[in-house]
Amino acid sequence: MSYLGIIVSSAFASNALLTYGLGDVPRSEDEAPQEGRSNLARVLALVLVNSIASGLMWCAHVLVAFPLGVPSLDLIFFVLLAVPGMKFLAKASGLAGGGLLSIVGERADDLIVGSLVFGIALIFGEGSYTLPQALAGSAASGLGYWMSTGLLRSIGARLDLSDTPKRMRGAPAMLLSTGLMALAFMGLDAAFTRALAG
Amino acid sequence: MDRDGFVPNPVLAGLVGICPLIAASRSFAEGTAYGLGAAACALALGAAAPPLRSSVSDRLQAPATLALSAAVALVFAACIKAYSPAIAAGLWVYLPLISVSGLSLYALRRSYPSRRSEDSLATLALESLMFLLTAASAGALREFLGLGTLTLPTPGDAPLRLTAMASPPIRILVTPAGGFMLFGFLVAAYRAFVPRREGQ
Repeated sequence: MSYLGIIVSSAFASNALLTYGLGDVPRSEDEAPQEGRSNLARVLALVLVNSIASGLMWCAHVLVAFPLGVPSLDLIFFVLLAVPGMKFLAKASGLAGGGLLSIVGERADDLIVGSLVFGIALIFGEGSYTLPQALAGSAASGLGYWMSTGLLRSIGARLDLSDTPKRMRGAPAMLLSTGLMALAFMGLDAAFTRALAG
Repeated sequence: MDRDGFVPNPVLAGLVGICPLIAASRSFAEGTAYGLGAAACALALGAAAPPLRSSVSDRLQAPATLALSAAVALVFAACIKAYSPAIAAGLWVYLPLISVSGLSLYALRRSYPSRRSEDSLATLALESLMFLLTAASAGALREFLGLGTLTLPTPGDAPLRLTAMASPPIRILVTPAGGFMLFGFLVAAYRAFVPRREGQ
């Protein structure tokens, strides 16, 4: 698949949240809307953390675990070496004096130990992609996750203002909305991507 | 047992690990295996917490807990692959992701006001059992209503599959989109039938 195909399918048809169930469905009632710099920091953090995690997992799998004949132990290498390294980088960036880098570092620190980063690293780090493809796909997955959670947050804000039945308010309504959005994203499937990007 | 902070159903009430669970629990067998793995992971972390606390410095406790969780998930993945390669293949990346769900379940326990480890371990065991039951029943419901079949977690290359309906009734339920919708209704039903305790 071409790079454009990998990027489009990672962001839409194989969306991290809507297809793979990685990360969390946003809860509108306890999250303030993010604007401007904070939103940019969130996108950058998602793209950077996912790319670095996938790159490190790829290296752990292809350069260490696979040659040693223990491919399934890449997770241990990842957890023991990559996660502390990323945590250190995020904390160091977070202490970088209040600029955009600092906000990115704080956001990244929250992301590192979670199903989103682990899942994307496992999907793209298995060795079925080349390293540049893994980096491109994981960065696009981060963008796709940001896009889907941003849309869901907007839907959640509108749902909060609507006359939703009491038991359906909050998480149930958000899960239903997520399902409907996943249906829409399923339309941008592999065949569509192939037709678009080859 | 100190029940302060007890979450009756960590998935439907606390939404713990709900998204990976939705993607992983497409059948009864896969839901059971995923739930069992996450429960085993959380219990192993709960049992290892006191010795970890006494032997590892505060700064290293988080990485040590994560490494232990990953190790338990890997051992569980190896066991599932040996027990049923088909179930292991169906769970794909969700087998290692069991470590994150187990960690989330265990993290619930850390916020309990109780400091007595045996109390909170018993509570963790209850919540882990709830997670397992929810994962297994959601998988069964999705498979039965989605495909009209029920795949039992039997050993061997091909798990035993019972067919109840010749044509799939609501096929969308086995897709992630259908899973999100079904869990939305399950959370709402849970809220309707299980009254909230004060402060929750």
